[in-house]
Amino acid sequence: MIKISDLTVHFGGVVALDNITVDIQDDIVGVIGPNGAGKTTLINVLSGFVLPDSGAIDVEGVDLLSLAPHRRARWGLARSFQKVQTADNLSVADNIWVSLDTSASIGMRKSAALNRVLEYVGLVDMANVPAAMLNPCQRRMTELARCLVASPRIVLLDEPGGGLSECEVDRLRYVIGNIKANFGAQVLLIDHDVELIRSVCSKTMVLDFGEIIAYGPTETVLQDENVKAAYLGTEIGT
Amino acid sequence: MILHLRRESRMYATFGFVAICILVLPLIIDSIWVKVLTSAAIFTLAAYGVSLLYSHLGLVNLSQVALVGAGGWIMLRLNYAADFPFEVNLLISAVITAFIGMVLALPAIRMKGLYLALITLMIAGGFQIILSAIQFPNGGSGFFGVALQSPGEMRRPVIAESDTAYLRYSIVIVVFGIMLAAAHKFSRPGRAWAMIRKSEANAMAAGVNVTFYKLWCFTLSGFLAGTAGGLLAGALKILDAKSFPAGESILLFALAIVGGVGHWMGAVIAGFLYRVLPAIFNNIGIDADLSLVIFGAALLHAIMTAPNGIAGQISTLFQAWGRQNK
Ligand SMILES: Nc1ncnc2c1ncn2[C@@H]1O[C@H](COP(=O)(O)OP(=O)(O)OP(=O)(O)O)[C@@H](O)[C@H]1O
Ligand SMILES: [Mg+2]
Repeated sequence: MIKISDLTVHFGGVVALDNITVDIQDDIVGVIGPNGAGKTTLINVLSGFVLPDSGAIDVEGVDLLSLAPHRRARWGLARSFQKVQTADNLSVADNIWVSLDTSASIGMRKSAALNRVLEYVGLVDMANVPAAMLNPCQRRMTELARCLVASPRIVLLDEPGGGLSECEVDRLRYVIGNIKANFGAQVLLIDHDVELIRSVCSKTMVLDFGEIIAYGPTETVLQDENVKAAYLGTEIGT
Repeated sequence: MILHLRRESRMYATFGFVAICILVLPLIIDSIWVKVLTSAAIFTLAAYGVSLLYSHLGLVNLSQVALVGAGGWIMLRLNYAADFPFEVNLLISAVITAFIGMVLALPAIRMKGLYLALITLMIAGGFQIILSAIQFPNGGSGFFGVALQSPGEMRRPVIAESDTAYLRYSIVIVVFGIMLAAAHKFSRPGRAWAMIRKSEANAMAAGVNVTFYKLWCFTLSGFLAGTAGGLLAGALKILDAKSFPAGESILLFALAIVGGVGHWMGAVIAGFLYRVLPAIFNNIGIDADLSLVIFGAALLHAIMTAPNGIAGQISTLFQAWGRQNK
């Protein structure tokens, strides 16, 4: 459970997050909103890359803001970035090992965890292939595997569906949709693909100009007039 | 399967090269070249440290030769102050130099690119001034131990008193040093470095302590420089403060690029160019400074057309040759 209170972030004159207060309890929660709404900023604050001007974040009783980014990761906060970030000269397995390296569990369990997550994302055959040779979807899956391998508590995904083809998104839908059941982590999913959000997120939050303009069950939120207005000009599914 | 075969043949090539250097080379060259090659082997190790930082983290270190000087200074100091065996002194010199490298990296670590390079260059300049002020110990009295006449005796390892034996000894140490550093590539630090290189934010997000692993790389590079310095003290027996100016550090970095970073052979080529080429020129009566012109041209060539250096070109050549013979 993520409890955010009075969170505000400024970049110079831009208010990226404007006094946000929200309790996130569901297993998979969607975050949508037009470009520049503050979605990535929210994840950056949670993972420690942006320091808020004010506010507090309480995750399962831990004051997140007091930890450095790598400590948050070790505590169990995993995230992916809007742009895929696999290390090209490492193999798929080694990319995933980076997360295992920093986790406290013992060696044998680590390789078991690696095999399990490789199977989960469908990269067993690619384990020893250098990441440089992967296609964008396989890179995304490698990154997701790295996020999941060390038994995280919270997983923050920033537009994982960006740039993927339709059938790749189907695979992604399966992988994201079953995170809670298989790994026990709570997921916060940013994406512009409303269909993806609709199919995996029980609740969704809509950001616009740094404010939460709607938060509730995904279907209800997507029918909301304010939300439709915020998306004016962008197709929001029916 | 093919990958395995290739890796195996590469391993044989490496062993063959090292065996020739240790067993055959010392037999067929005369005493002057033994000295030159010893020094080339030693600077190979120092160049490998520079190349480590550059290839894994993209960090430019322009103070490596200064650190070699520091390692040499400590080695000489220990030699006159304590009765430890050569190896113990060498290890202590390497460890202290590694520590110095780490401390110097502390302020530099938050910088990137040109700024980091400039800071390391200033550090090298600082060393140059300090070294020429206090001189290298040569057996005189007091802590600095500088005697104007009759320098004391720099001991060599018992098994390597002669120049030829010392060349072999140095090569063995250099091989161990390179293996130690190369082993990092395939373990935790190597993975962390690769991730940092790709994106520091992503590395942090994966739980990697970025500052720690950057410092580790600097420390390792300093360890290699310190080892090189200690070996150099044993090789030359007397070190001269004038041999470690800041400019030499720039030169060594440039040659590491020319040789090719990220591969031991690149460091070997760098050590060869740094020490053997000028000696060859001297030998055939050409001004050794001409080698600087050649280095400059080679650096341009490396930057413009051969990002993996000469080592990269050789390995491409061998790969093409391997494909033809399949
Ligand atoms: N590091 C930064 N420095 C300055 N301004 C920033 C920074 N990061 C974000 N911003 C600004 O904050 C606002 C919110 O940006 P953010 O990246 O959070 O939007 P987003 O909802 O993720 O948009 P998108 O859908 O395009 O990814 C934007 O106006 C952006 O320009
Ligand atoms: Mg964004």
